[in-house]
Amino acid sequence: MNLFPLYLTVKVSITATIFTASAGLVLAWILAKKEFFGKTVLDVLIMQPLVIPPTVLGYYLLSAFGAGSPIGRFFEDVLGMQIVFTWKGAVLASLVSSLPLFVKPAKAAIEGVGNEIEDAARLLGKTEWYIIRTITLPLAWRGIAAGTVMAFARATGEFGATLMVAGNIPGRTQTLPIAIYDAVQSGDDYTANLLVGIITLFSFLVLYIAERFSKGRF
Amino acid sequence: MGQYKNKISFPVMIPILLSLAFAALPYLFSPANAAAAGERIITVAAASDLNFAFKDIAAVFEKETGIKVILSFGSTGMLAKQISGGAPFDLFFAADRKYLDDLSVKGHVIPSSVELYALGVIVLAVHKSSGTGVRDLKDLLKPGIRNIAIANPDHAPYGRAAMEALKSAGLRDKLKDKLVYGENIRQTLQFIQTGNAQAGIVALSLANVPEITYVRIDPALHNPIDQAVGIVQTSKDPEAAMSFKRYVMGPFGSQVMKKYGFIIPQ
Repeated sequence: MNLFPLYLTVKVSITATIFTASAGLVLAWILAKKEFFGKTVLDVLIMQPLVIPPTVLGYYLLSAFGAGSPIGRFFEDVLGMQIVFTWKGAVLASLVSSLPLFVKPAKAAIEGVGNEIEDAARLLGKTEWYIIRTITLPLAWRGIAAGTVMAFARATGEFGATLMVAGNIPGRTQTLPIAIYDAVQSGDDYTANLLVGIITLFSFLVLYIAERFSKGRF
Repeated sequence: MGQYKNKISFPVMIPILLSLAFAALPYLFSPANAAAAGERIITVAAASDLNFAFKDIAAVFEKETGIKVILSFGSTGMLAKQISGGAPFDLFFAADRKYLDDLSVKGHVIPSSVELYALGVIVLAVHKSSGTGVRDLKDLLKPGIRNIAIANPDHAPYGRAAMEALKSAGLRDKLKDKLVYGENIRQTLQFIQTGNAQAGIVALSLANVPEITYVRIDPALHNPIDQAVGIVQTSKDPEAAMSFKRYVMGPFGSQVMKKYGFIIPQ
């Protein structure tokens, strides 16, 4: 049994989650604490992947990062890396589709911290960075952790956009969901059932551990 | 004050554990298709109707030549879009010539390499349990046939042909409300296989499955389904791509293609 799709899925979802959580934390903080022109537009843009069909999202990403686009050429010529049709393309697709699932709860949690405690620290002359590190993040961490788990789960199951941006290339970009789709399409029920079993067990374990972890039982 | 007990529990452990797991993973699984030194590999984009035939052909080709073939199946429209986006394919077997002509005009496919390799045949497929004795397109009007599956006529060549056949038979408007669209021809077949659609129009190349019976549809009812192949401009090994293309169109390839219900152009 070829376990490459499982390996790739884990690699892609972890990488995507790291990017989602770091970028998402900054975005969530800005959206929760700052007022600026176009804030609602930014918020709505981040939430878009929840609403538009994944294949359409994939089409957008392929057009934006493909070989013919300025961004695609920048990555290719300047940084020497191709994003589309490599595992990085799968990361990109997972990252964009999981971002809203992280930002939403993280933003709510950061908003929930309230300004009183932070203002008290400001009165005591603490820097903004100190306040974020020792007050905002520790008090908001449950929401952030919940967002991280949701983002990871979404990244693991990402299919439509990945199929478009990374393609269905066995041994290179074929993630678990795509391998399942491919096996079903080929009428290979044995492989399909096996992979379905693996992904179900895997996602159950991840969510179970996350649930226990958030209740402090680890 | 319960909030404060959380103060030190900001989960720095999560990123640390994730990174550790990430670092350890490559040791747990070795990626498949890791190229041995000097091994030649070609990646072939193929329309979904080739799913069965190409697996047979590629297996024998690999044994004979030592060139590894990675098959990537998808709908012709999606694969074409991926090639124009820079997908690392060497060879593209489309189910519709139109897409290859388009790609070669835009410089994504080597124009001189574009060639017709097969003609698709469509059949009227009926799920065995629906037992309504559907032998002709007109029988689709029977009330026992509630859903008729065809591939999406907007982007799937077999769907286009199916729609043309229904139109020529004067049935398109009468059956309009019964039609359900599959994303590609393989999915269309599945709608019928699972009995969710009682009948449908699929490729002969895929129709040989236990759940359905089928009859050929008169080819005069639709434009030919010209299936063409071309070598992708960015191919790193056009020579190997060429030899696979020749193999598919050669005696063994043609024999397999005929077995799966394609017509081989002379």
